[in-house]
Amino acid sequence: MKKIEEIHLPDELRYSPDHEWVRMESTVARVGLTDYAQDQLGDIVYAELPSVGIRVEQGAVFATVESVKSVSECIMPLAGEITAVNAFLADDPAILNRSPYGEGWMVLVKPDDPAAGERLLTAERYRAQLKGEG
Amino acid sequence: MGELLKTVLHETHVALGATMVDFGGWHMPLQYREGIVEEHLATRRGAGLFDVSHMGRFIVRGACALAFLQHLLTNNAAALDPGFAQYTMIQSGSGDALDDAYLYRFVPGEYLLVVNAANKDADWRYLQGMRPGFPGAELEDVSERMAMISLQGPSSRPILQGLIEAGALPEPLKNALATVSIAGTEVLIARTGYTGEPLGFELFLASADAPLLWDLLREKGATPVGLGARDTLRLEAGLPLYGHELGKDPTGAEIPIFASPLARFAVSFSPLKDAFVGREVLAAQFAALKKIRDEDYSSRADLPRIVMPFALRGKGIARAGFRVFKDGREAGFVTSGTMVPYWKTDGIGLSTRFTGEREMRAIGLMLVDSRLRKDDTVEIEIRSNRTPAVVVPYHMRSDAPPHAMPILPHRREACPTPGSGEWDGKVRGLLERALENTRWRQTECINLIPSEQTTSPAVRRLSIMDPAFRYAEHRTLPAFMDAEVFYYQGTNFIEGVEEMLNAEMARYLGCQEIEARVISGQMANTTVFSALVDYLNRNDRKAEPRRIRSVLNNHIIRGGHLSAQPMGALANFVRIDPRLEKPAVVNFPVLPENPYKIDVEAAKIIIAENRPELIIFGKSMVLHREPLREISTFLREKGIDAVIMYDMAHVLGLVGPHFQEPFAEGADLVTGSTHKTFFGTQRGIVAANWREGEKRYALWEAVRSRTFPGSVSNHHLGTLLGLLMAVYEMNAFKDPYQQAVIQNAKAFARALSDTGLTVAGDPAISFTETHQVIVKVAYAKAVEAARLLEANNIICNYQAAPDEEGFTAAGALRLGVQEMTRFGMGPEDFRTLAQMIRDVIIGGRPLKEEVIAFRRRFLAMQYCFPDEAFGDLMEKLHRMI
Repeated sequence: MKKIEEIHLPDELRYSPDHEWVRMESTVARVGLTDYAQDQLGDIVYAELPSVGIRVEQGAVFATVESVKSVSECIMPLAGEITAVNAFLADDPAILNRSPYGEGWMVLVKPDDPAAGERLLTAERYRAQLKGEG
Repeated sequence: MGELLKTVLHETHVALGATMVDFGGWHMPLQYREGIVEEHLATRRGAGLFDVSHMGRFIVRGACALAFLQHLLTNNAAALDPGFAQYTMIQSGSGDALDDAYLYRFVPGEYLLVVNAANKDADWRYLQGMRPGFPGAELEDVSERMAMISLQGPSSRPILQGLIEAGALPEPLKNALATVSIAGTEVLIARTGYTGEPLGFELFLASADAPLLWDLLREKGATPVGLGARDTLRLEAGLPLYGHELGKDPTGAEIPIFASPLARFAVSFSPLKDAFVGREVLAAQFAALKKIRDEDYSSRADLPRIVMPFALRGKGIARAGFRVFKDGREAGFVTSGTMVPYWKTDGIGLSTRFTGEREMRAIGLMLVDSRLRKDDTVEIEIRSNRTPAVVVPYHMRSDAPPHAMPILPHRREACPTPGSGEWDGKVRGLLERALENTRWRQTECINLIPSEQTTSPAVRRLSIMDPAFRYAEHRTLPAFMDAEVFYYQGTNFIEGVEEMLNAEMARYLGCQEIEARVISGQMANTTVFSALVDYLNRNDRKAEPRRIRSVLNNHIIRGGHLSAQPMGALANFVRIDPRLEKPAVVNFPVLPENPYKIDVEAAKIIIAENRPELIIFGKSMVLHREPLREISTFLREKGIDAVIMYDMAHVLGLVGPHFQEPFAEGADLVTGSTHKTFFGTQRGIVAANWREGEKRYALWEAVRSRTFPGSVSNHHLGTLLGLLMAVYEMNAFKDPYQQAVIQNAKAFARALSDTGLTVAGDPAISFTETHQVIVKVAYAKAVEAARLLEANNIICNYQAAPDEEGFTAAGALRLGVQEMTRFGMGPEDFRTLAQMIRDVIIGGRPLKEEVIAFRRRFLAMQYCFPDEAFGDLMEKLHRMI
């Protein structure tokens, strides 16, 4: 497991306390798992993603990610409609480990409130939370 | 964190960056930096290194130790000889397991019981609590002073071999033990493990020395593996985990011991065990299991559910506790499940290769209705989705060392039906291919398979003449003073042939009696075993016949032939030893410095202890004479009444002063194959030297009646006729032939050794006393070498050497000079051949054309009557076809 200082947290992203990241891309938000989450999970061997078109409330479970030893629920950081899902994760869930911020994105969401992303944690605040946790 | 126990390797794990977790009160590595998937794959491909020092280790010793173990464990400790281990359970009185465990017997005076870490304290209290019933039984907890490390995977063997300073790895049998010295420390080694790998070792040593051994193993390439991959490995191997497949199920109910597929290895109902704890209820479970296997569910109440492996067919991962449904009705629970990686393969049979790619599969074990069978589909509830899965017999197989092979559920393919093409094409094709095969093998190949020979043209012609289509059943009738009575008409010719054959063969072997009707060496052996059982029961035909009490033979791993093993012709003729719960067979011990030679002094001790009824000499991997004279003399001195049988198989053609004269040296019965070093057609022979009136003559009569009507009705008269000609050839030419064979073998062996190849045997006698030469290539590389040689037209066998685990791990080649000697090769020619062999297998040079040119020089058969001397008769025979 990495030390908290070693966790990679790009500055331009926003982070939820439940260990998801959000990148605002004009009208949609791209959502994925943070480097901390994938490091804690270990080898990810399965990911179950939602269908395109469904609505998910903030705080609800939108996906399940499984490692060899455990099942982890992914919590939606902002309410909205799922407009796209990363199809590559079905065949190669390990992308989530290898490239959590790049190829390992999970869903695209059209947020109810376009400003919701700004209210999430900055990299600095998220890292502080991790230190408190860890 | 301060309360968690630590093994002596704790700092090592932390220093390696392991993710540490609480496991049953111990601070243990879940995984190291590479992660669970990589650690699992590294074990299957290389070697995994596991700290298992958290497990409990108890020594049991003292008077009553055996009775104590027999009462409280499920295994038959009385069958546990020093140098071996057994899987076992600590069972409750109600048929479930308190723990599963392993019992090791490194030295005669004590037993080492290894139990699961999570149950260690409970097991200790239980065993201590039962001790008063066994005064004199001592129990010592050595878990702290003795550490335990596991090394599993195909590379485990060379890694460990490379570190041993004194001593050797245990014999290549599961559960075998040995004691060695590594880096100045005593290490106990067991061929046991929890990953299903065919090559794997558990190591016990003083705790203080464990960190050094761990580092040495890592330096040699072993990959540290944590508890995460330990679980995925054992799951893939279908091995039970206490708390999942043993103990209590997800609802808290007890799981019967026989629900676990390994129960039949752990549980014994031997009469040597008393009314042990749980015996009755376990016996009822076992009885129910046997019926269930036959699809009789009348006793299902005693075993309503069984643990079965399954493979998920839909998406997702099945986890412990998930419910299982069959046709909509609840059928049980998943006991263990996850996603595991495996190495992909392509090719079939011995050509199977790992491609280097990896895949994942969702598999598991489930405790389900005992009426479910292999290939049944079920549905597993994964977070409210019912996902299809299929029952499989296993996820992995360990019978092709050095690798564990992943087994995926496959769809059965329809057998290909032969094409209904034109007959013309089929017949032409067959004739062409037969011609091509004969041309290839007879004129373009160097044939070095030790069990093969080419017959002379005269023998071949005779073998296909008229008696080949006929019957000539015959037996003696006391009413006619034991004259042979033939049942069929038109048999005058073959009657005469059989008489002449018996006389000529008796002359060759130096004995009185010959039975030539058996049609193979293995049949000859089966007939002798059957005859011996018949003979043992001759005075009472109404009672259940008794089987042979005890047999002494050469073990197959040390070159003993299949025939003489319980797995071969000996099956069902020898009784089951109630102590060992397996056939009562003991093996000839071999010299430590030469595993190809019997240790006569040690053999005498075994004979005196076991008093075998039947002693079988003879081997299929053979470099030396058998110590017939020493052993038969010893038997006479001690008044031991054993039947001595020499299965001469390979060496029948060498009978004489240049090798052995079996009857003169004390053999009672000789069997053999007439087609290896002997010039004959493919048949068998049984021979004896008893005369009528001798006590054992009745055994000879049994041999004859077990031949006919016991084994044959048609005894292949064509090859019988050919055999007579072959015996004429043997008797006429044996002296120069036998000398040439042995001289060539020695020259060949020396030459191969001179080229730098490793030749087995004693260099002081030029490695061999027979027609065989054994060349050690490299562990598990002999199949490849033999195929490469075949591609270059040199045909020989791959062979597992005595220290190798099985034929797929074969590291040696077995070569025989007899056939090429018959085609005129001499010592100088074998030296040339040795160089060619070396150039092919070490130099990697393609030499097919050179080999073909070389063979062209050796096409004329020697040691037979020249065709020209009987020219017109040979010609006429030829034209009779």
